Amino acid sequence: MTLLRTSGLKAGYGPVTVLHDLELEVNEGEIVVMLGANGAGKTTTMRAISGLIARTGTVWFGGHDITRSAADIIVRHGIAQVPQGRGTFPELSVEDNLRAGAFVRRRGAEVDADIAKWFEVFPRLAERRDQRAGSLSGGEQQMVAIARALMSRPKLLLCDEPSLGLAPLITKELFEIISGLNREEGLSVLLVEQNANLAMHMAHRVYLLETGRIVAAGSAEALSADDSIRKAYLGF
Amino acid sequence: MALFLQRLIDGLSEGSIYSLLALGIVIIYRGTGHLNFAQGEMALFCTYIVYQMGEWGVALGFALVIGLVAGFLLGAATEVALVRPVAKRSVFAVFIVTIGLFRGLNWLDGAIWGDQVLPNSAKSKQLQYPSLFPNKPTDFWKVFGANITYQSVGILALVLVITWLLFMLFNRTKLGLAMRAVASNADSARLVGIPTHRVLMMSWGLAAAIGGLGGVVFAGTTHTVNLALMFSVFIYASAAATLGGFDSPGGAVVGGLAIGVIQNMVAGYADQWVGQQMKIAVAFLVIVGVLLVKPSGLFGTAKVERV
Repeated sequence: MTLLRTSGLKAGYGPVTVLHDLELEVNEGEIVVMLGANGAGKTTTMRAISGLIARTGTVWFGGHDITRSAADIIVRHGIAQVPQGRGTFPELSVEDNLRAGAFVRRRGAEVDADIAKWFEVFPRLAERRDQRAGSLSGGEQQMVAIARALMSRPKLLLCDEPSLGLAPLITKELFEIISGLNREEGLSVLLVEQNANLAMHMAHRVYLLETGRIVAAGSAEALSADDSIRKAYLGF
Repeated sequence: MALFLQRLIDGLSEGSIYSLLALGIVIIYRGTGHLNFAQGEMALFCTYIVYQMGEWGVALGFALVIGLVAGFLLGAATEVALVRPVAKRSVFAVFIVTIGLFRGLNWLDGAIWGDQVLPNSAKSKQLQYPSLFPNKPTDFWKVFGANITYQSVGILALVLVITWLLFMLFNRTKLGLAMRAVASNADSARLVGIPTHRVLMMSWGLAAAIGGLGGVVFAGTTHTVNLALMFSVFIYASAAATLGGFDSPGGAVVGGLAIGVIQNMVAGYADQWVGQQMKIAVAFLVIVGVLLVKPSGLFGTAKVERV
């Protein structure tokens, strides 16, 4: 079942159009990875889907046309984004960050239970629950950002370069957690990643983005087999 | 000793009023990064509304509620109609808009209520501006030779209660969490589903209402209201916010009380140099001093983030 589909998606910043008629799909229970060089429009795609920037074309999600919905409504439909560069609430405590992540939910007891669950998944956050998120290390802030996004119980997680600035071991740990959520809870994921080798391992499908257009799409195996793609993005 | 105590009490009481207005300044600043130059004039509008209700014979309690609701609506409408459209351009544009609003509101008050001091015998039924606290000449306690009026104690208590309520709002409610989240990172706030526009609108409304309370209390101490009532109070409140830190509500309260006390002490003990007329210079010296020594204020956070 198609969960997310964009067609003719155009978006940019002011007079500059970054995305040109972008077509992409994420099916239920899928991890889709988007690869592309700097400036290809990966982050813009994420921001256009989550509604942070103006867009035209069509964005379908779970059978609804959400093209005209504002960012805070799109979350209610079930899309959560982990923004690039973490984007936590630096002045808020770790726990308040997670609580804010559950803003769209009503039942307080379930929210408390979810906070406890994420503190189990990320024990380092539990130790720092009362600390200001801005005082945490880069890896810990990334954990806060991911846990916060999942607090809204999304159907689709948009993950924008979670590995940026992180040690390889921590990156691996984060990716394992995301894969686990996908396997166990059927969470769909759209992941933008520079670290292509690592991302390809967990991907069901891969899109290749170049100057605001999808130039190749397919399974991770098919794209890795393509010589030119392998050289350009995987570096071997 | 009696004189010192007297000046301390007077200073705390005056400072409480600065605190209320400074709270308004801080709530808006930390929510949006904007300095609301019209904070004092929004308060003056509420002050006039309460006066008008009194003229119409509305009981003071209701009059106060109506005045504060009017202030809330004025603040909220300002955010929606004037601030939001220009906020995308620059912080500076918003500052200019609030200066325009400062002039516009003062003009509006003048057009409705005239430029005389109110109440006056020609126009008003009320003999004096209503006070929220007993303020007959005999309403005071004698403590160590100082006259501690019921009114000054009442004002101080009011500010402490408001501060406590705000603390509960910010730290114990979903709206408060949303306000802090928007202040901290507006984009991320939208990504977790917070309707940031509505939250900002509420912040402006809340700030205007709290400032309005300050205006009503202040007019109660001077027994009158006039168009120039809030000019100097706004300056003192800005000094209070600078001293306490522009993003710290607790700092605004402490800053307000401190400015009130400093000002009364300096004007009292150094009256041959400073005197009542030059009190305002003390506020400016505090602003300059704080900006030189600790720009983020006593309780403000210097923006430092690990990357």
